[in-house]
This record gives sequence, C-alpha cells and structure tokens, in this order.
Amino acid sequence: MQTLSVVITTPPSSYLTITAIDFIKNAIEAGISVVGVFFYQDGVLNSSANLSMPNDEFQTPNEWRKLHTMHNISLHVCISACEKRGLTDDIEINDISFKSNNQQQSNISQYFTVSGLGELVELTSKSQRTVQF
Amino acid sequence: MSISYKNSSSKNIAIINSSSTINNASKEALDAALIYGSYEQNIALFFQGEGVRQLIKNQNTEAVRVKNFLKTMAAFELYDIENIYLCKKSLIERGLEEDFHVKNIQVLNVNEFLNKLHHHHVILRF
Repeated sequence: MQTLSVVITTPPSSYLTITAIDFIKNAIEAGISVVGVFFYQDGVLNSSANLSMPNDEFQTPNEWRKLHTMHNISLHVCISACEKRGLTDDIEINDISFKSNNQQQSNISQYFTVSGLGELVELTSKSQRTVQF
Repeated sequence: MSISYKNSSSKNIAIINSSSTINNASKEALDAALIYGSYEQNIALFFQGEGVRQLIKNQNTEAVRVKNFLKTMAAFELYDIENIYLCKKSLIERGLEEDFHVKNIQVLNVNEFLNKLHHHHVILRF
C-alpha cells in the first residue's frame, strides 16, 4: 500500500490549505494510506478551536474535523509553533482569568494532537512520500 | 517512540532554506534541521536566494531586534549535519563573498545544486 504524509505550513485563510485538503481527500479515494498530517509554521493556525468561517466560504476547520473523525487521520501540531501564535493547551499557566471565565484549558481544537518536531521526523520516515503545502 | 529510525536512514531529507535571516521561517527551518539531525536522519541543507545570507559571517541580527539564532549553526557537527550546500549564483547576485561562519559549506553552481537536490526523497522548503 502506498503511504503519504502531508506537511501544512499555510494558514486556514490560504488557498494552499484548501488545495491540501482536496489533495488529501483524493489520496484517500485513490486508496493511499495517509499516515498523518503535520502542521508547522503558520499552518498551526488551522488547529485553533476558535476559528469561524462565514457560512458561504470554504469550511476549512470542518474539513480537518471530517478528515480526522471519518478517516481517522492524525493531525499533529507543533506546540512551539502554536505557542508563538497564541495557541496553547495550557491556558491555566498563561492566563488564569481566561480559564476561570470559560472553563477551558486549551484553545487548540480537540481533533488535533499536540506534538513536536519529532513527529515530523516520524511521519517522513514512515511514509513513502511527503508533500508540503 | 517505537519507530526504528535506523531502518529508515536510507531516506535522504533535504531542507531548502531561501528565507531571509530576519524571517521567522529561517529559524523554523533550522529547528527542523536540528531535530532531523538528532534523530540520526540523512539530512542535507540547501541554501539559496535570500537564504544564503544566513551563512555569511558577522551578521548583526540584534540591530533589527532579531535574536541571533545563527549561532546555533555552530552545532551542526554535533548533530551530524555534514551536507550543507549553497547556491553560488545566489551569492553572486547579492555581491557576497564566500566568507562563512559555518564550516564545510559546499558552494555549488546551479546544475550541481539541482543534481544534489535530486538525490533526496523528502524536500521541505522554508
């Protein structure tokens, strides 16, 4: 079976992200095993739990959710790239008031896995091909 | 982690760095390179375009409030990062001399640069 890993470095607002989602969907349809997606640089912005797209626009966050829930694809985010961009799974430490008001300890979407660059190494080594967007 | 990285070491990984020194992408490329190095992967770094400036000696990044992350490149040997290629054309276009702060840089013409790149299975660009 052919195996693929994908690296996303573009934000949800970028057309390249839409292309990437289409690419992954088509790969799945073609019977290719997508071993995982790694989000790095501005790509980590895709993992924000607070994203809200206008109804008539491409629903990037929903598409990532579907890829994860329907096709069981792991979505790994680089935590150091996240934290530079206001995304954290440890709000408790950074802003106590935010936690007490919202009872929320992470602003990273539950469909994403908090990882590090080591995961990128793992994905590139266990897939036959890696494609970066 | 359960993966045996030794088994996959036949895969050659290239990181193309064409970002200017003050661009965050340069540091993110370097971070990725060091991780690949520490996992004992066959990693090669390709510097081209604005990226070539990162290797030039005596850069005062602090003058523009950018942390001098270039110093970390001194650790390349420690991480077994031995293949560092630089595009000569990019250097000439910018009027830069071959005066680097990193050892063992291979300055290549465009064809050699591309040939080297073709020997890699994974290419990440920054």
